[in-house]
Amino acid sequence: MGNPIKIIKNGILDENPTFRQVIGMCPTLATTTSAINGIGMGLSTAAVLICSNVAIAALRKFIPDKVRIPAFVVVIASFVTIVQFLLQAYLPSLNDALGLYIPLIVVNCIILGRAEAFASKNSAIDSLFDGVGNGLGFTIALTVIGLVREFIGSGTLFGITVLPDFFPKTLMFIMSPGAFLTLGVLMAILNYVTSKKSA
Amino acid sequence: MKEIIRPAVVLLVITAVAAALLGAVESITEGPIAIANENAQNEALRTAMPDAASFTDVDAELTGTISLIKEALDANGEPIGYVIVANPSGFGGAVPTTVGFDMNGVITGVSIQTPSETPGLGARATEPEFMDQFTGMTGTLAVTKDGGQVQAITAATITSRAVVSGINEAYTWFTENGGAN
Repeated sequence: MGNPIKIIKNGILDENPTFRQVIGMCPTLATTTSAINGIGMGLSTAAVLICSNVAIAALRKFIPDKVRIPAFVVVIASFVTIVQFLLQAYLPSLNDALGLYIPLIVVNCIILGRAEAFASKNSAIDSLFDGVGNGLGFTIALTVIGLVREFIGSGTLFGITVLPDFFPKTLMFIMSPGAFLTLGVLMAILNYVTSKKSA
Repeated sequence: MKEIIRPAVVLLVITAVAAALLGAVESITEGPIAIANENAQNEALRTAMPDAASFTDVDAELTGTISLIKEALDANGEPIGYVIVANPSGFGGAVPTTVGFDMNGVITGVSIQTPSETPGLGARATEPEFMDQFTGMTGTLAVTKDGGQVQAITAATITSRAVVSGINEAYTWFTENGGAN
């Protein structure tokens, strides 16, 4: 069994799904128009990732290699549907905000990626920590992108107005181009900081 | 042969367990989901017609994008107007627009949902600043850009026009079916 702290830290920093592995870009770019949407998408994905990682790790010896991909997809799709039912029933406003992105978690490559790269080769407990680490890493990345885009684009943070009305808001940042620009700049900053550290 | 049977059986077991699990969750959340949807609809009806004590179904054919028509009743059960839900196409998809008319065809309130509009742009149609301006208007509406009286949302003319077209569609139904009396 690996060191839980190390596995979690690995998912958040060294192998951050968004900034390091650069996977799951579609929901990253599409849902981060505000910080709260970023958190909601991140946590929903994290919940599915943790559940699917544990289930797949527990079943890894039972699932024959030949059918592992369809088996993984069934497991993942089931958890996504459960999350969607729960959101519709108990958090309808978040469900309205994330709408069609929730079903898209099924095809989020982070989840299938971690199933292939980690859960299918490691114990259920290690996979749980891997899910927590990658889920948190994804959530933090989406929240930061959401904060930047919301601040520049709408002048608010978590829905609270922080920029005075006369301050010009750059609407482009809550549209698609702003997502690419924010992601690129944040990635560059992170690379600069980590390259300094290792040098 | 064994190489085919084992994977097939395993996959069958996994899908069967998944299906059973989904069925269980569905039956648990069915009630709360229905309640959540009903609450959302009731809230929209109340926003569109704040004076109504209750709403009753109307026996009418739903035309165009209209998905719901309710007659609004006051505390004595007398009809005071209609609430109509239209679903015009906005920038990203349908924009469910709930509009209330009193018996003279004057708008008593508007409630808008923007499930697929751009946050910060079209999605701002749900803000009171935009929604509340409709109260008291009557007749066929248009945004100021098109020579009308409705202040469109900055940089979201498409969503604004969609809402206006939904309200106009509801008004047309009203004049054809309810506005005569």
